Formats: sequence, C-alpha cells, structure tokens
Amino acid sequence: MESESFSHHISRRFNAELEHLRSEVLRMGGLVEQHLDTAVEAIIAGDSDLGLRVSNDDHKINRLEVDIDEECRKLLATRMPAAADLRLIVMVIKTITDLERVGDEAAKIGYLASHLATDRAPYASYTELKALGEHVQEMLHDALDAFSRMDVDDALAVIEEDKLVDEEYDQITRQCISLMMEDPRTIRRFMDVTWVARALERIGDHAKNIAEYVVFLVHGRDIRHTERETVLQELEAAKSDRSASS
Amino acid sequence: MPKVWTWTLIRYGGALAAGAFIGFLYDRATLGALLVAVGLLFWQLYNLYRLERWLAAGKIVDIPDGEGVWPPVFAKIQFIKGKVKRRGKRFRKLVKDLRASTEAFPDGGVILNANHEIVSYNQAARLLLGLKNRRDRGQRIENLLRFPDFIDYLNNPGDRLAVDIPSPSSPETWLACRLIPYGPEQTLLLIRDVSQRVKIERVRRDFVANASHELRSPLTVIMGYLDALADDERIPVSWQQPIRVMQDQSVRMRRLVEDLLQLSKLESGQSVPKDRVVDIAAILATARKEAFALPEHPEAIEIELNSPANLLGEETELQSVVSNLVSNAVRYTPADGEVTIRWTVDAEGGHLEVQDTGIGIADEDISRVTERFYRADGGRARQRGGTGLGLAIVKHALRRHDAELEIRSRLGEGSTFVCHFPRDRLALS
Repeated sequence: MESESFSHHISRRFNAELEHLRSEVLRMGGLVEQHLDTAVEAIIAGDSDLGLRVSNDDHKINRLEVDIDEECRKLLATRMPAAADLRLIVMVIKTITDLERVGDEAAKIGYLASHLATDRAPYASYTELKALGEHVQEMLHDALDAFSRMDVDDALAVIEEDKLVDEEYDQITRQCISLMMEDPRTIRRFMDVTWVARALERIGDHAKNIAEYVVFLVHGRDIRHTERETVLQELEAAKSDRSASS
Repeated sequence: MPKVWTWTLIRYGGALAAGAFIGFLYDRATLGALLVAVGLLFWQLYNLYRLERWLAAGKIVDIPDGEGVWPPVFAKIQFIKGKVKRRGKRFRKLVKDLRASTEAFPDGGVILNANHEIVSYNQAARLLLGLKNRRDRGQRIENLLRFPDFIDYLNNPGDRLAVDIPSPSSPETWLACRLIPYGPEQTLLLIRDVSQRVKIERVRRDFVANASHELRSPLTVIMGYLDALADDERIPVSWQQPIRVMQDQSVRMRRLVEDLLQLSKLESGQSVPKDRVVDIAAILATARKEAFALPEHPEAIEIELNSPANLLGEETELQSVVSNLVSNAVRYTPADGEVTIRWTVDAEGGHLEVQDTGIGIADEDISRVTERFYRADGGRARQRGGTGLGLAIVKHALRRHDAELEIRSRLGEGSTFVCHFPRDRLALS
C-alpha cells in the first residue's frame, strides 16, 4: 500500500514480507471471526453438532498463531526493523495472542453450546446472549477492519464499545442469578449460560486490546490503562506536533 | 513550393539586396546586408516568441497575427489544437458515461490487480462490501473480506465458479462473489446479492428435514400395528396378502424418509474434519454382508483390497456411500453376474471402485443419475426396492469428503462407479 508508513523501503522484498504478514494476521482474524459466528449460532440455534465442530476446529487457529509467530521472529532476526516496522511486528505478535485467546473462548462457547442444546432453551435469556454475541462479533470485526485500514478513529470507537459490552454482561449475570434463585433446578443450565456470557465478554476485551494496538501502531503511543479523555488529548497533541513539524 | 514561401524568399532576397545597395552607396555593401540580415533574424525571433507565448497560454482563440510564413503556421497549429481538444472532450464524456453506467449497475464490481489490491469499485460494491470512500483503494481485498472460504477461492479461483459469503456490512445479506480475470494481471470481482436465494435454500432444506422428521413417528405407529396384525392368527387368509403388501410399502416409506433426512443433513454440512480414521476393510465387508441379505443378489460379490491405507472422515457417511453403491450394483445385476468392490491407492489418492456386470446406464443418463428421484429406466428400479435417493446421498457424502464420483458405463455391459479421494484424506500408516 502506497500510503502506509512502512511502504517506503529500499528493499521491496521487505515491503512484500510485511504486507504478507499483515494479510496473514487478518486471515487468522477471519478464521477466528468465523469460529465466533458459528459458536454464537450454535448457542442460538441449539445445534450441538455446530458447537462441537467449533470446539474441535480450534487447532487450525493455534496452528496459524504458531506460523505467524515464527514469521515475526524471522523478520526480527533478518531485517532488524526499526520505528513503524518494529511497531508493526510487535503489534502482530500481541494481536495473534489475543486472536488465539478469542479462538479458545469461541471453542469454549461451542462446547457449552453442545451442552446447552440438550436442554430446552429457557425463554428469553438467549435473546440477550444473542444481542451480546452480535455486539461482540461486531466489535471484533471493527477492530480487525481498523487494523487493515490503520484507522485510529474506528479503533477508538471499538474501545468505547467495550463499556457497553461489560454492561450487557452484568445484566445477563444479574438476570441469571435471579432466575437461579427462583428455581434452583435450573442452576446448572444458567451456570453454563453465565459462562457463555463471560466468554463473550472476554472476547470483547480482546477486541478492545487489538484496537489499542492499532492506535499504538499508527501513533506510537501506548494507550492501555489510560482514561479516554487523556488519550484524546494526547492524540490531539501528537497530531498538532506533526502538523507543526511538517 | 507553396506561393507564400516563394514570395517570402523573394522579399527577403530583395531586402538583403536593398541593404547591400544602400551599403554600397556608403562603400560598406557587406555591412548593409549584415544589418538587414540581423534585423530579419530579430523579426523571426519575435514571431517565434509570440508563438511560444500563445502556446503557453493554452488558448485557442487570440491567434497572433503575423506576416509572411507565420500566419499559415499559426493557423495550422490552431487547427490541430482544436482537434485535440475536441477529441479530449469526447473521451472525457465517454469515460464519464461508462463510469455512470457501472455506477448504475445493481451488482457490485471491484477491480483487483495482481496482488489482490483494490484498484477501483462501483457504488453497489461499496454498499455491499461496506467499503469506505477512497481510503480503501490500494487495500488488499482479503484484508477486508476475511472469510476463510473467500480467501481460499481468491487463491485458487480455478476450483469453483463462485463463493457465497455473508456481507461484512450486514450479516443478513449473502453475497455471491465471482472472480473474472481479464487483461494482463487484473481481475474483476463481481458481487451479487443472493440473500433471497440463500434464504429459499435454507427454508427448503429445513422443510425437508422437518417434514421427514415429522413423518417418522406416525410411520412407526403404523408399522407396529401392521407387524402385530401380520402375526395375528385370527386374521382371515384373504387379508394376509394385503397386510404383507402394506408392510413392504411402509418399510419402503420409512427408508425413503430416512434417506431424505440423511440427504438434508449431508447437504447442509461443509467438509468433514480429518481427525478420525475409518477402517476401509470393515466398511467394505459390512456392505458385502448387507448385499447378501437382499432378497435377490448375484452369487459373486468380491472384495479386492489392494492397499492397507484407510480413509480420514466420518464412518457412518462413508459406510452409506459404499452400501448405496453396492446395493445399487446388486440390484441391477442378474443372479449369474458379478459385483466387484475394489480399493486402490496411487500417487493421486485413493480410489474406491464398485464394478458390476449388470444392465448398464445409457450415455445420456449418466450425468443425471445423481439427481434426486431420477430414474434411468422409468420406474423399474422402484420395483427393485430403491428409494431414488441413493446416488444423491453418495454424491453429497463424497463432496463432504472432498472426493469425486466418476461413472463409467455401457448399456448392457455393466457399470463402474469410482470414488476418487484426494491424498490428504488417506491414513497411510
């Protein structure tokens, strides 16, 4: 890509390698997204086959993580990258860890789905799971889109979304607890539902992490564990610095 | 030579001669001619300057006037300039019209270069794929369309004609993506909204699955009572034959319902995982035993195992592939015929062959026998106890194992059904 900062290398090979690395990460992201979609569908549809398939297919994601890790190490050793290139590689190494964890959570959801499918769906609580699932799917999708477009604004929007996901998770937990108190026989099932919600909430956190890495990649600032206002101020300052120096 | 040139030459010659003559009067003939020549030179330079200025201004009008050979030169340049401008206008209009027509296209189109980077796209593609204006040019398409299925297709476009993926902008929408290579290294990605088709397919599949499922329970009840009636000795003899026929027909109906259910299950699934080893020898032996259990069967049903390799996949599905092929072969082979089940492995992969010396299939039927309820012989098979779904089940089960079905047959000489399994489906140890 002409507009990206890492495209101005004398070595065209290096460019191609970085571009390939990026595509590989996004390919892995695509696979993870698909697993998450299938897992959520398995929960909603109560399809145990679908759920088991996700939990059995997790090894594909793990395999990709190992491969990309290897590629990063090779690039670090042979090209000795600096500045934006180094940031990209560091970011990739972190991103694939998060993606792999998302894969694990999706596998867990798939496994729980195969459990839950044997019981009858308890009226409305799956609607909330569905809403949470769709929300998280969208977050992951947007985070990966922000990465492929190097778009800080989209990344910041994903980070903001995470709060809503946390709230939805709280609501589901509260609802499950009150339903368990109403009828203790359902405790087992609602424990599973809580676990699913928990896994989805974790996936939201991982998506948020990826979005934070995108900001780090583009601006070179680590915004983890920082308040949003401070982040915005810092980014604003960085922008004006840049325009002043150019 | 055009008259204007002759005339100019004569005039310039005359001016030089006049200069020389005036110089001669002062005894400096050469100096006089030189002065005139220098004057003429500056005159030409001045005209050249005006020409350059006029061209630099880029206007067609305001043509400089001049003298001698200059006006025709100016006029000719003006003519060429006008022509170029008109042509440019025409091209711009043509490009604009073309772009407007691609924009109006209901299907999305994205032009990709050799690296799968987006070169340009139309309005429909932007909406269907959720692309962002301008910024996504130069982005690799697989970075935005990350579906594993699509990436497979992008890297090996020869394998399939198109793939269906959910739209990244709205999960309810399904898109059929098709790659069309053109020019030296460019590819056109055509995107069509097929949500309606996908929805109808899903409804149809669900309907078949639900309907067959619902038919099963009443059928079980009917069969139970028929069994009880058949065993009852108080039933008059005249009723025994009808009850037996009803029993046979309800068995057939149950088989039909089961086949429909199995088919709808096979249709919906994707590729079967390669994590389980299926014992080929065992499933071939089972199929043979089942064949011998059929009321009419040829005496010779042979198994040739030419390789110890096994298959990776789902045992029940592979069993139904072999059983269906073998029972088909047996059904169409006379008692003195021969059925051979063969398993061989070579460099390309594994080949499972079921060969018979039966009635064979006509050429025009071969391509259609895997269709549901297609009868090559107009109903004869129904008397032989087939459901009409066997080969459809075989085809779908094989597809789930990345395998292909090849049918070789001659009318009257028998048929051979070969399942070609790729190498990565083999368990070689």
